[in-house]
Amino acid sequence: MSVVSTVATALGVAEEVVREVRAGELALEVERSNLPALADRVFLGLEGRLLSLFASDERQATGRFVVRQVWSLPGHRTFLHVAAPIDPALPSFPSISAKYPVANWFEREVMDLFGLVPEGHPNLARVALHDDWPEGAWPLRKDFPADRIVPRVQGDFHPFRPVTGEGVFQVPVGPVHAGIIEPGHFRFGVAGEPILYLQLRLFYVHKGTEKRFERLPWRHGVFLAESISGDTSVGHALAYAHAIERLANVEPPPRARALRVVLLELERLYNHTADIGGVATDVAFSVAASRAQTLREGLLRLQDDLFGSRLMRSVVALGGLRRDVSPEGLIKLRKHLEHFGKEFDDLIRLLNDAGSFGDRVDGTGILTQQAARDLGIVGMAARASGLDMDLRRDHPHDAYEGLRFEVPVEQGGDVRARLTVRAREVAQSLSIVRQVLDAMPPLSSASFRHPMPTRLPPRASALGWAEAWRGPCTHWIATDERGEIARVKITDPSFLNWPGIVQAVPGNIIPDFPVINKSFNFSYSGNDR
Amino acid sequence: MFSIIAKSVKIGVLTEAHPFDTQPSFGFPVIDFSRCVACDDCERACPTGAIRTARPGPARKTVTLSYAACIQCRECVDACPEKAIGASHGVEVAAYTREQLARTGSFDVDSATGRGAFVNLEVQPGPTLNESADRLRERIQGRLGRSLHVRQVDAGSCNGCEAEIAATTNPLYDLERFGVHLVASPRHADVLLVTGPVTRNMEIALRRTYEAAPDPRIVVAVGACGCSGGIFGEATYAALGGVDRVLPVDVYVPGCPPRPQAILNGLLVAMGIREARLGAVAASK
Repeated sequence: MSVVSTVATALGVAEEVVREVRAGELALEVERSNLPALADRVFLGLEGRLLSLFASDERQATGRFVVRQVWSLPGHRTFLHVAAPIDPALPSFPSISAKYPVANWFEREVMDLFGLVPEGHPNLARVALHDDWPEGAWPLRKDFPADRIVPRVQGDFHPFRPVTGEGVFQVPVGPVHAGIIEPGHFRFGVAGEPILYLQLRLFYVHKGTEKRFERLPWRHGVFLAESISGDTSVGHALAYAHAIERLANVEPPPRARALRVVLLELERLYNHTADIGGVATDVAFSVAASRAQTLREGLLRLQDDLFGSRLMRSVVALGGLRRDVSPEGLIKLRKHLEHFGKEFDDLIRLLNDAGSFGDRVDGTGILTQQAARDLGIVGMAARASGLDMDLRRDHPHDAYEGLRFEVPVEQGGDVRARLTVRAREVAQSLSIVRQVLDAMPPLSSASFRHPMPTRLPPRASALGWAEAWRGPCTHWIATDERGEIARVKITDPSFLNWPGIVQAVPGNIIPDFPVINKSFNFSYSGNDR
Repeated sequence: MFSIIAKSVKIGVLTEAHPFDTQPSFGFPVIDFSRCVACDDCERACPTGAIRTARPGPARKTVTLSYAACIQCRECVDACPEKAIGASHGVEVAAYTREQLARTGSFDVDSATGRGAFVNLEVQPGPTLNESADRLRERIQGRLGRSLHVRQVDAGSCNGCEAEIAATTNPLYDLERFGVHLVASPRHADVLLVTGPVTRNMEIALRRTYEAAPDPRIVVAVGACGCSGGIFGEATYAALGGVDRVLPVDVYVPGCPPRPQAILNGLLVAMGIREARLGAVAASK
């Protein structure tokens, strides 16, 4: 049976309703009233995972808004796009958040940015817009100019859950934090040291990135993608490039696909190393922290040396790579990673041998498998809570098909489990890079970049994805009638994962919060965009 | 414990004595105006508007390259048909005004071919680097001595600048040896190290942080976004743009993100113990 018919059968729809847009992407359109029933069938019948939910304003072309969902169907190695047209005269759609909390922030964001109301949502508070933004201004609608300056209004401050009782307090933290981290507001309800609950207030660094894409030529979008989340330049650049390449029906040459794997794994290596060091810093284990920082700096310098940019900016190009790496560069890379691997093992041994370190990370900040599953947690954080998923294996991109690697899964869900997953992933990354280097397609003048067409097809859309170090980065890109960008929906794994920390923190003490936070290390900028 | 000490002894001191001596393969683009024909190709290639051309008169054209918005992507280098754009290799790039980060070449345009012939570099508006350095020193009046307390404020960054600011504290750069200390509160801070683009949702928090800092509160804007809004632009519904749209900025450190050495240099400029210069331009000569 073909994938199309399997999926159609599971969804209880006729086969011709499900279209195979291109390899790995199925699509179907439903009436909005059918969204909840369809969600049941995708979750239960296909074991789908919701990776994104958003809207697009297509009133100019078709006179309607569209609410869209992107599902991963790992068992079928395909994504499923669900589209529900919305009549502008009835700007609402049925919510699925009460049953599937993974949709919670997504649906509220649609409400904030497009003015489409998720009917039946259990908590219709704003998520993307702050209190001083007026009612009735929806910035991602097409008739809202990107440069409109909206005056602040005196809004009620975001209502935080009250706490009462003797010795029970609220502790507000942020948006400007004590360390060098991104801005966000945390509101802790505490009884002495133990945390009763945590509430989040994000979107302080909302930069209008998705709207910005609509004003940039698609060729320049890759540079904006690199600035969605500074530590995931490669992940987002690849997701963007993949979507554009799929739209243009361009396949990058083998050498570029191989080197893209190297880039993505280097990004994983330096971030995992930095965060392991960050946890060591937060528990005051400064020897380990210094060593981790030194290892990270070594990787950044190697990247600068090989690609001309410490954070590997401006390396991924549409159709391949901007620059190739010389044979000497590849030898240097191999040597450096050999040395790195030994030093990294040493670092992990240093941490594991320290009982005082174990005291701080074992059993700290547990995100249970049930909570992770219910919230739709993805990526490294999900794998540390016993959920086995990885786009590199489930929906292989670039040169991952054919590489041998395992997807490390830990059951603990605590800081230790996240550190262990990261350490095991480092070992896998090193093995992946070695395999790629062993089978590197030879250097030749045209082999690292496929030319792009002058125009993209009009009124088309495609999904681009990459399993970056935090988890899946997805970009859904649609073009207008001229083949320019009409909409880019960016989903950083952090947007799916932030609610997880709310579940992981209660019962822990406030001094453990930085440790828990660092073990996840979600992106504020990727979340807020 | 013994193994920790043994390993630390084996590793030894990693801190680099001369952090500013490194020569990266690409710092910023540098236009060799004598080879430039003012054709607009680089302007079209530039994703942030760091390169702009203008036509002040019928036979006149100007080409401006500003490091304030440059994200060092090198599209202009690849796009230039005359191979007039090269790379600089300096790491100490900083200035006291946005204008000081820009260079404008003036061209005579041949009406038949449309090609420009370089005439001269335009005089940069506002104070020169030396004048600004004197003014900053006057403002500090030696009050900072040889120590500097820094409060970092992310007012909208992608976190790339924060990654490199954090790197300045690693054992290789070790900013504390220069007397620079990152502090937890603006009340303790001599300097605010601010990244941008300043978002609508961080504007108030940024202003309050500034108000909470004691005089003379020096503001260092970091990164292309902090200097100019960068690839996110200025005056959008969500972001105001460069830090100077909200606060008076004393030192600009451009780059996307700036290298750790450039950030370190920017802080030493803010202390008045180093002078800002466009290391990039100097190194290209």
